[in-house]
Amino acid sequence: MRLTSQTVSLWMAVVFGALLLIGFLAFPGFFPPMSPNMTADQVAAFYSNHRAMIRFSMIVFNLCGIMLIPLFMVIVYQMKRMATPSQVLAYCYLSAVASGAALFALADLFWLIAAFRPDRDPQLVMVLNDMAWIVFTAPVGMIVAQNACLAAAIYLDARPRPIFPRWVAHFSIATAVAMLPAAGAAVFRTGPLAWNGFLSFWLRIGAYSLFIVVMFFVLRSAVRRQALEEGAVG
Amino acid sequence: MTVAAKPDLTEVDPDRYRPRNKTDLTVCWWIIPIFYNFFGLIFVLLARVMPPQRADRNPDQIAAFFHAHTVTIQIGFCLLMVVIGGSGIANGLVAFQMKRMSVSPVFAYAYIAALAVGALPGCLMAAFSFLTATFRPDRDPQILALLYDIGFLSFVGSLGCFTTQYLVLALAILLDKNNIFPRWMAYVTIWQIVTEVLAAPVFVVKAGPFAWNGSISFYQGTVIFVVYEVCIIYLLKKAIERQPLGERIPD
Repeated sequence: MRLTSQTVSLWMAVVFGALLLIGFLAFPGFFPPMSPNMTADQVAAFYSNHRAMIRFSMIVFNLCGIMLIPLFMVIVYQMKRMATPSQVLAYCYLSAVASGAALFALADLFWLIAAFRPDRDPQLVMVLNDMAWIVFTAPVGMIVAQNACLAAAIYLDARPRPIFPRWVAHFSIATAVAMLPAAGAAVFRTGPLAWNGFLSFWLRIGAYSLFIVVMFFVLRSAVRRQALEEGAVG
Repeated sequence: MTVAAKPDLTEVDPDRYRPRNKTDLTVCWWIIPIFYNFFGLIFVLLARVMPPQRADRNPDQIAAFFHAHTVTIQIGFCLLMVVIGGSGIANGLVAFQMKRMSVSPVFAYAYIAALAVGALPGCLMAAFSFLTATFRPDRDPQILALLYDIGFLSFVGSLGCFTTQYLVLALAILLDKNNIFPRWMAYVTIWQIVTEVLAAPVFVVKAGPFAWNGSISFYQGTVIFVVYEVCIIYLLKKAIERQPLGERIPD
């Protein structure tokens, strides 16, 4: 059953990842990403003109985003199977995943609250919109810590056949580095660091999506090998 | 007749290959003092959240505060967005040492869960509200005042995540027979619970010792927090040093 639960968790990520992609494509404020330089009246008009699609996409995010947690817990479990000096990095990773997921859930709520009464004072709609974008984009630290812990555990794994191949560690670090510039989205209103900029929006989301897709395949092969090994033990 | 060959366990059992060193523990330990130095730099010097601004200001005074400190708030909290993951690493290391205690892992898991919750209301929410305020300092002062209140009340007033964390840590230390941490640390930790309870009136009063910038709610709590952090960082180092190499920790 230890293997079934992991396989189910991985396929859950495929199903809910696909739904998240639909939510992402459906949000009218992502293509192109809303500019931080919109006036309060433009922001309020955006919420009243696109109410249905904003609600649809953000309710999909709301329902499906945290459904990726089981995939991350497969990573925790596989980290615990590594022949690292201790299992401390798995606990660090778990803690950072939980806090990071809460940030996604919070950002989603601000978008939905802004859309709830678009006839509010436009200044109030704008502050909710700012909060949503800043919380969605800027707090990259939890992911940086997760990926650093994952990479460190992979480098330290002394099994003759490591649980994850070493390139996953390099890839994990590269993903963390690609996420870093997005912290600037809480400050800059123009340029590549603004929340609609290339680095803060496209690079961050692209790198993290790629990371999850790659981890799906890496985890699937790790779980399969665990099945073979533990099957041999009986 | 030969007995069926025993399956090869070598690939399955990680303990056979676990390196007999403390690299991961040492790296995690070093991140904690580095993180808390950043924390102090950000909250005290840059963002001016510690010591807290007055709770009894009017919206125009609050707007003036954000106007005067926009750049340092932005530098500080932008930095926090990057380094906040250090809190997760600190949680993991303390929880790992708690798992070495002779108590069930329940308290260690509760410690991780309580602090994984606490990071958002107890630390990041203040940064988000201040960053949102300084993102457009020309907002209506009433809105800036709302963001100011969200920032300080969440930062000083997030009580329960931390009382839970301190309670399970204190109980684990008191019940532990492996002496991972000395008993006096449990009493230091209980003091932390007292300071959280004494901060409850920040939601009620705007001035005096129990306001969010008051001598009891803020200064007393912060002094004991610093003492607590110095002790736990020192004791974590001692615990890692005394930990036998290759020790098996039940799951």
